[in-house]
Amino acid sequence: MKDLRIYFIFCLFLISLKGLAQEKKYFGQTEIGMSVGRSEELWDGNREKRRDFTLQSFHGAKISKSHVVGFSVGFDRYDHLSIIPFAFGYRGFLGDEGKSRLFGGLDLGIGSTILEKKTRDEWSKSWYQGGLLFSPSIGVSFPSRKGSSALSLSVAYKRQELSFFQGTLDRSGSQAPASKKLPPGFSSLSETESLYQRMVFCIGLIY
Amino acid sequence: MNSSYLPKSLCLLLTAMIFFSCQDEMTTTYTYRTMVPVYLEMSDVRARVISTEPAKPLDNPGKIYIYEDYLFINEPTKGIHILDNTNPSSPKNLSFIPIAGNVDLAVNGNILYADNYVDLLAFDLSNINDIKLVKRVEDVFMHMYRHETGEIITFQDTVISTENPTWQVESGWLMDASISYSSNYSAAAQSYGTGGSMARFTLSNGHLYAVDENTLRVFNVEEASDPNFVKPIDLGWGIETIFPFEDKLFIGSNVGMHIYDASTPNSPTRMAVYEHVQACDPVVVNSEYAFVTLRNGTSCWNSVNELQVVDIKDPYNPSLKKAYSMLNPHGLGLAGDFLFIAEGVHGLKSFDASDVMAIDQNQLEFLTNLKSVDLIPGPKSLIVIGPDGVCQFDYSKPSQLKKLSCIQVSNPVNVY
Repeated sequence: MKDLRIYFIFCLFLISLKGLAQEKKYFGQTEIGMSVGRSEELWDGNREKRRDFTLQSFHGAKISKSHVVGFSVGFDRYDHLSIIPFAFGYRGFLGDEGKSRLFGGLDLGIGSTILEKKTRDEWSKSWYQGGLLFSPSIGVSFPSRKGSSALSLSVAYKRQELSFFQGTLDRSGSQAPASKKLPPGFSSLSETESLYQRMVFCIGLIY
Repeated sequence: MNSSYLPKSLCLLLTAMIFFSCQDEMTTTYTYRTMVPVYLEMSDVRARVISTEPAKPLDNPGKIYIYEDYLFINEPTKGIHILDNTNPSSPKNLSFIPIAGNVDLAVNGNILYADNYVDLLAFDLSNINDIKLVKRVEDVFMHMYRHETGEIITFQDTVISTENPTWQVESGWLMDASISYSSNYSAAAQSYGTGGSMARFTLSNGHLYAVDENTLRVFNVEEASDPNFVKPIDLGWGIETIFPFEDKLFIGSNVGMHIYDASTPNSPTRMAVYEHVQACDPVVVNSEYAFVTLRNGTSCWNSVNELQVVDIKDPYNPSLKKAYSMLNPHGLGLAGDFLFIAEGVHGLKSFDASDVMAIDQNQLEFLTNLKSVDLIPGPKSLIVIGPDGVCQFDYSKPSQLKKLSCIQVSNPVNVY
């Protein structure tokens, strides 16, 4: 189901890109940066500082002079995890074209854990499951001399949910009654729901 | 709409977000299957009228017993399904006898014996459409009694979710799903087939023998409709299966095979204990050899997976004749010279076992797609229990099993 959604979004993106490029309404922005936050509460009650890499590429269509809607894909690290975010996005600009402009953005989508390995052995099984992504941002764009591209600096809040499942397989050979809470074949399952909340500082290129 | 409206509101939104702390949060929910104790008054259990109900779909099959043209299939702790098996290619579900706490059954003449928690029940089968309870022998399976008040303790399979990583329940027990589950429930659920090699009730010489985890209980059933409890015999720990042959009882346990002389049926005496490493082990026997399968499973942690042929010509001194390595053998069945072994997830094997020193060289068939946990070579068909349900095969040609039918079940056996 999750994979289907990703393919669907990706196809939409490809279709829109082709159509829009021809009409020169295409808007692209690729950003690289760092996400900053603090870890969950550790055993001693403290929180560690977290700094991780982030990359995002937004592709959209100008629906008017100041508004762009589109789609973004990227790569986010959260501690030891690698996430591929897919999101629908909006960018809105304040100010005149050809000059430095203030912009705001909003991305809403999902983070995929496709890069994370699933493990399974004789006794247990563990895997990650991606979750919702929400990220509002603000920034400033500085146009190049030719005016066809611009440099962007932005700061965003990024909220990413994901789950880690770790199950012990039921090896008793007995047939346990089905349960909504526990998938068949497991004698126990733990779900760790993680919520990552980060400030993201990015430098990017608008084209 | 003012074109600057949206960016402005976004700036506001982001500013608001900054006030949220940028901290990661983690919550872990542990979901596990465990046994919750349930207390029952036997007086309440006995007050319930047991009468045959219309057929129910098979759910979670336990023991299977062949009686004339019928199959009796136990559903652990729920009761017994009765199927008309006149035509093994298309068995018909006839009716269901609801018996709470039932895990075992055996048929003697036209009397069906079944346990009902601590009691043994006898039903008259002479009219299969009107099965009647004819006798209740009270308080014989005493291991379920909690104390003398007539209250029994049983365990109900339950799924619990908690955020407490120690899985500590209110009663203060540290529950571990695998331990509690296997020790309380699957002891019953694992005994898949009566008539098969994993039986726990068995009939021999006018007596009914019932084994639980550590006791052999003897009932005199010479008058079939009037079973009488004779006595319990302590066997030691980890008893799993019982197989009668001639006037002996072969009792499989976690640590070995007990041989009992039942020539005085009222009072079987121990002839020998053939000990092996700890493993789960069903037994079948012919006049010269006992065939024992050892496998590693939940309650029998061991890396041994083999078929052992034990020479029992001198039952006081059984000795290992030969061991053959297997994949993960569960139940087994002997039909004349032909030996069938349920290899769990790996499939089903058939052998010509007439030369016990060369069984591995006489493998007839290995059906790798037929996952199985137990089997019963019946008069009409070979009954195989596995994740596909209860399947029947024509084994008139043992080297070439022919599938006749499969009875679908909603919670089939899991094999790993």
